[in-house]
Amino acid sequence: MKGLWKYISPFAPDQSGAAAVLYGLGGIVVICDAGGCAGNICGFDEPRWFSGRKSAVFSAGLRDMDAILGRDDLLVRKVCAAAETVGAAFVALVGTPVPAVIGTDFKALCRMISRKLNVPALSVPTTGIGYYDAGMKAAYEALLPALTQEESAVEQGRAGVLGAVPLELADPDEQQVIAEMLQREGWKDVTFFDCLEDYEQAGRNERNFVVSPAALKGAHYLYERFGTPYEIRYLGRPLPEDVRNAVKGQRVLVIHQQIAADAIAEEVLRAGASFVQTAGWFLADPSCIRPGHIRLKEEDDWCQLADNDAFDVILGDIYFKRALPHFTGLYIDMPHFAVSGRY
Amino acid sequence: MEHKHSQPYAITVQDLVRRGKDQIPEELLSSEHLIYNSPAALAFNSPGAQGFGVKRAGLSIPGSIMLLIGPGCCGRNTTILGEQGGYQDRFYFYILDETDIVTGRHLQKIPQAVAEIVESRREKPSVVMLCMTCVDALLGTDMERVSRKAASVCGVPVVPCYMYALTREGRKPPMVDVRRALCSLLEKQPRHRRTVNLLGFFSPLQEDCELYPILRQMGLVRIQELSRCRNFDEYLAMSQANFNLILHPESWLAAQDMEKRLGIPSITLTRLYQVSQIHRQYMALSRALGSPIDDEPWLEQACQAVDTIRTRFSGVTVAIGGMQNGNAYEMALALTRYGFIVREIYASLSPDDFVYLRHLAQWSPDTEVYSNLSPTMLYYEEASHPVDLTIGKDAAWYHGTVAHVNWDDDIQPFGYAGVLSLLRRIGSALEERGHSTR
Repeated sequence: MKGLWKYISPFAPDQSGAAAVLYGLGGIVVICDAGGCAGNICGFDEPRWFSGRKSAVFSAGLRDMDAILGRDDLLVRKVCAAAETVGAAFVALVGTPVPAVIGTDFKALCRMISRKLNVPALSVPTTGIGYYDAGMKAAYEALLPALTQEESAVEQGRAGVLGAVPLELADPDEQQVIAEMLQREGWKDVTFFDCLEDYEQAGRNERNFVVSPAALKGAHYLYERFGTPYEIRYLGRPLPEDVRNAVKGQRVLVIHQQIAADAIAEEVLRAGASFVQTAGWFLADPSCIRPGHIRLKEEDDWCQLADNDAFDVILGDIYFKRALPHFTGLYIDMPHFAVSGRY
Repeated sequence: MEHKHSQPYAITVQDLVRRGKDQIPEELLSSEHLIYNSPAALAFNSPGAQGFGVKRAGLSIPGSIMLLIGPGCCGRNTTILGEQGGYQDRFYFYILDETDIVTGRHLQKIPQAVAEIVESRREKPSVVMLCMTCVDALLGTDMERVSRKAASVCGVPVVPCYMYALTREGRKPPMVDVRRALCSLLEKQPRHRRTVNLLGFFSPLQEDCELYPILRQMGLVRIQELSRCRNFDEYLAMSQANFNLILHPESWLAAQDMEKRLGIPSITLTRLYQVSQIHRQYMALSRALGSPIDDEPWLEQACQAVDTIRTRFSGVTVAIGGMQNGNAYEMALALTRYGFIVREIYASLSPDDFVYLRHLAQWSPDTEVYSNLSPTMLYYEEASHPVDLTIGKDAAWYHGTVAHVNWDDDIQPFGYAGVLSLLRRIGSALEERGHSTR
């Protein structure tokens, strides 16, 4: 039944994706919610929250009367009061279902805040309905024009990586792995757009690498503004030997975000798989979509695709296996934090 | 991130009492400022992820399942519950999209969804809980009506419960209302004179709690707790109780509802850690029920434990958080009386807490009160606030290197037994950290 999910818990929502991109940039991030959405972001979707590295992520603490009366002035007052404590480079408002339903005018709120605080205020009008990648995409779209500084000279050997937030990474050390991989290729300075300076100095990048479809539009913006070329590339670890052996001569299904799924599919084919199919619930940009890729919408779509003997091997987050009681093949776990909240 | 006033906001107990309960500083009122989601405060903002939030509490009826109706974000942390809590096959989701929200078409589909879920299960559930979120709160959905329709379609009771964080400071906050919802299936039955319900918690009292033998002393042979019900019939038998004992203040609405619908009156007992007050409370219960209570053996044991802890650890400095099984202010008062020095308290403050604060101001006027939720807590640094021991998961977060008693187990401490357990845990934690005993 459309809308009904019996086996799989919901994926990381758009506001978590937005908050992941905004994390640690030195701004005040206000999740415009009643409390639960911010709690989910910090307690579940943002592993950096427990790392000891503090970030000013706050909940607006909306209450029923705020929603009924539209007390924007109260929210502005709360933000200004927080700004007295936390000196912030910018203020970012992140949407949730409550402002989506009551039709909050984020642009007006941003104008009011930036006028009072004299710092840029931007909004990411997420709704809690979309997936994390939609939120990431919206956050890049809001941040890049607001924070990047005017043109600066390109620095040879400086690379930017867009989209490498924990929700997209396979393990907590993967950013380090990516940096080392690119350094081995001769890139001297690798930035991840996870601090304010990376945005301000984005024009200095010789090249940007895009590891998530959610960052494609952001990379394209930088290309148009600074002429920085970008490359869509999966920078995760290669498949282990036992997995490469397991897929030989097999019909394989890969389920992940598009860029990862494509790269894994190619690797699986090189390892000798007889057939590879990719599928996913997340953004599938035309520029990186694999021919024949199946876009899933409902849990039922997944059951119809894989809860049978059509594939011998499935590579994907183990959480998806719950919905496949009739699949008798080999399921190989490839954790996706945005799905199961684990590495 | 630039630090402007890099000090967390705090106020001494003495100053708080001087201001009075009508002038609580704005910094301690969560409705007056942005809410900081420090790892210490997560249980406040995401109760579903830690402890009992509406989702986990809503599944307290034996054999029940839950359909959560909301945008995907509302069900996100349920992954943790499924994984760690053994609830994996009890949660279902109806994920709203924009069309659902704009047209309300999901209301037509919920009965069908419930029927599909019930049919898909090997065993019929005893009840289907429909968990609603802020979206339906704002849409003004009549979920009672939708539940009735769903029940008629699937032949199983369907009960709505409301995960409306928007109403957290309202008259019926979510955790108050979910307790009412859990009792809503009880129907009027002949009452048994010797039966009592313990209301308030979603998990049982500690096995060695003296409340059980004390109630038996009074002739009560059946002591019922929702969390100890093994099946739906035992749950239904809760409507046979002669009276309810309310052990947690958030049960007032459930008790009121049971009194109105089932004619079951109630008496309130408070969880306390001051031994003398526990004794007074039992004596008051004895007077209210007109039946003698002899709590002497437990009282004596508790007094001995207090003497021992005072001898061994008097002067130990403590920080007490709000994320634990007790009222932080009452616990601070108790521990101060037992010889500890309570330096700091991190907890929400309500006017009701001034009952304890007034006494605490006499014993320990310089104890500082912080709000976990204040944005200024970004700047709390352990090094500037040394203590020997923390109580509560939040306090432990602030003081990573000292002795901890999390005191947030599901099994609920209560009465003298609660005091004994707490003091035992404090003793062990301090000994492990090498605090010398005298």
